Amino acid sequence: KHEWVRVEGSVGTVGISNFAQEALGDVVYCGLPEVGTKLEQMEEFGALESVKAASELYSPLTGEVTDVNSGLTENPGLVNKACYEDGWLIKMTIEKPEELEELMDEAAYEKFVKSLDS
Amino acid sequence: MPVRKATLRVVNLGRICYHSALKIQQQHIKQHLESCSTPPNTLLLCEHEPIYTTGIRRAPYNLKEEQRLQALGADFCRTNRGGLITFHGPGQLVCYPILDLGCFKKSIRWYVCELERTVISMCRMFGIEATTSPDTGVWVGENKICAIGIHCGRYITSHGLALNCNTDLTWFQHIVPCGIVGKGVTSLSQELGRDVTLGEATPKLLEAFTEQFNCTLTYDLNSVETQ
Repeated sequence: KHEWVRVEGSVGTVGISNFAQEALGDVVYCGLPEVGTKLEQMEEFGALESVKAASELYSPLTGEVTDVNSGLTENPGLVNKACYEDGWLIKMTIEKPEELEELMDEAAYEKFVKSLDS
Repeated sequence: MPVRKATLRVVNLGRICYHSALKIQQQHIKQHLESCSTPPNTLLLCEHEPIYTTGIRRAPYNLKEEQRLQALGADFCRTNRGGLITFHGPGQLVCYPILDLGCFKKSIRWYVCELERTVISMCRMFGIEATTSPDTGVWVGENKICAIGIHCGRYITSHGLALNCNTDLTWFQHIVPCGIVGKGVTSLSQELGRDVTLGEATPKLLEAFTEQFNCTLTYDLNSVETQ
């Protein structure tokens, strides 16, 4: 629920939201899949470690991993500092574009996050 | 915020092989993920035979390292938890809370902090002044008395904490515990200068849990009797 996708053409860039990175704490390690890995929507694709806790990551879409952010190996803190920009996790193909319609847009997500704080 | 207190079901597994305990954790996680109703949040308590375990950061611990540690007479297991290498063995109270964070607060950072506070509160009951530090875990001065390493998937937690009661601390000499060079380990027995058993520590840890997590405890009938 806290992973975002930015679509540019036929490629989706995936990362975690600001809410998610705050809830995690300082990320010290990113366990990410290899390029070529095929993912189903909602499937686990890796884990982030913070405060000695490994938190699973879930794919927002069905597709194939085309790129993995190698910058996170040396600088995992980018996930906290720039979760929407340089802290992106993976890029993937969008095998089922109809899945995009099921995802929350920014306004809906903000509303969702507010409801969690109750 | 739920008005009703959450309930924690305590299951004391007694002395149990690490791998068997892992299977039991998986069963409880599965219950949370697959059940239509709300399964109980569970606190698994146990004690293991000597074993070194690592987390998702596997790179520092290759096969040679694994064999070196096994040659000492310990088992070795690579897990999916956070945290680096640690030791579990007799005299160490191991606690695996299998919780749905949706019943509490959906933040891993909050959860780990609450675990640390729980152990600090328990140490205070023994008259021991324990603290946190930038390195996750519970410390008495420069020495770690309790290690923490967690896994979380869909808000269901597993793995947990390992509190040294009267553990043979020499097992820790063969590793850099939790990857932190220059710091040591300690136990309740070492701090108090007397033998402190799991039997003595367990009720205090449970008491601290109820206070910190604002919950009530129920006891599973399958639990092993604590000595």
